Amino acid sequence: MKKFNCVFLMLLSISAAAQDHAMHDMEGHDHEGHLHDTMVDGKLLVVNPERFDSFVSTLEGKQVAIISVSGMVCDFCARGIEKTFLKDKTVLKVDVDLSGGKVLIAYNPDKKINFEEIQRKILSNGQNATDIQIIKI
Amino acid sequence: MGIKALIILVFFFYFVNLEARPISYSGGYTLMMESNTMQDSTYYHYSPSYKYSLGIQYIKDKYFNSNYSYLRLTYLLNRRNTKNSQRNLYFQSGLSSDGLDHYFYGTHGDWETRRLYAGFGYKKTMMETLDYIEQYLQVGVAPYIGEYGDLHTWLMLKSKKNDLTSNWDTYPVLKFFKGNALVEFGYSDTSNWDIHLMYRF
Repeated sequence: MKKFNCVFLMLLSISAAAQDHAMHDMEGHDHEGHLHDTMVDGKLLVVNPERFDSFVSTLEGKQVAIISVSGMVCDFCARGIEKTFLKDKTVLKVDVDLSGGKVLIAYNPDKKINFEEIQRKILSNGQNATDIQIIKI
Repeated sequence: MGIKALIILVFFFYFVNLEARPISYSGGYTLMMESNTMQDSTYYHYSPSYKYSLGIQYIKDKYFNSNYSYLRLTYLLNRRNTKNSQRNLYFQSGLSSDGLDHYFYGTHGDWETRRLYAGFGYKKTMMETLDYIEQYLQVGVAPYIGEYGDLHTWLMLKSKKNDLTSNWDTYPVLKFFKGNALVEFGYSDTSNWDIHLMYRF
């Protein structure tokens, strides 16, 4: 029984630590080198860590929407998406990760990010936004 | 800007791929130019939506030794986006400045990943005295996968046929694009240079 309690406590502490780590990541802070482990809204955050770190380096206190986009197969698609979002005055910065099929959009922390609006903008460019993750830096 | 730079710029803008990305994003403008043994052309179009584009194409027809323009429409019939690919099917048409007896219609399609490309085209031109069909097939592979903003390169093989000239003609094509510009050139013994250029605004 002692062994069982011990294992149970260990599992509980690992689970709590993992949850704490996830919460820590959701708050943002320093993501350098371990973004591939980050969970946001219960989903693994899959981005290019170097690209992401470079993107957020000047975005302390801001929020970043990471959009998964399908059909983004070339620079022209990416450029169109970038141009579309840069027309939006609430957008601070945009980057496209072609390899990962992600679009990174930075907003001020008080901006209420509307996924449907983002989907419409991506569709106006001919691609489909399939998922969103929002992370505070 | 020096004369040399201006000449390079003019040369660069002179040749455009008429088939690559025939519709821009909503509100986008595109300038395309093409030069081959049959014709030289300049095509400028506007895309009110990602589903269609409207434009004017000026043609210097070397085969018929005449100049005319087309009012062109390209419409996206079908698109399928997946995580790693995009497939498109377009309808294209044009009405000539020569009159209602001179027009064309056709279709072209492509399937593309970041590594592979396959495309085809079919175009029928109706003139007062003659009708003819142009067809092409094109496949390509990217020797490396560039990131956003890098120079992208494609090694391609194109096979085309024009009723007015001869049988199928197959030749290698090199395509480069970076930023808003694309340049593509191929060469065959029979039809010589086939050069295209596109710039998107």
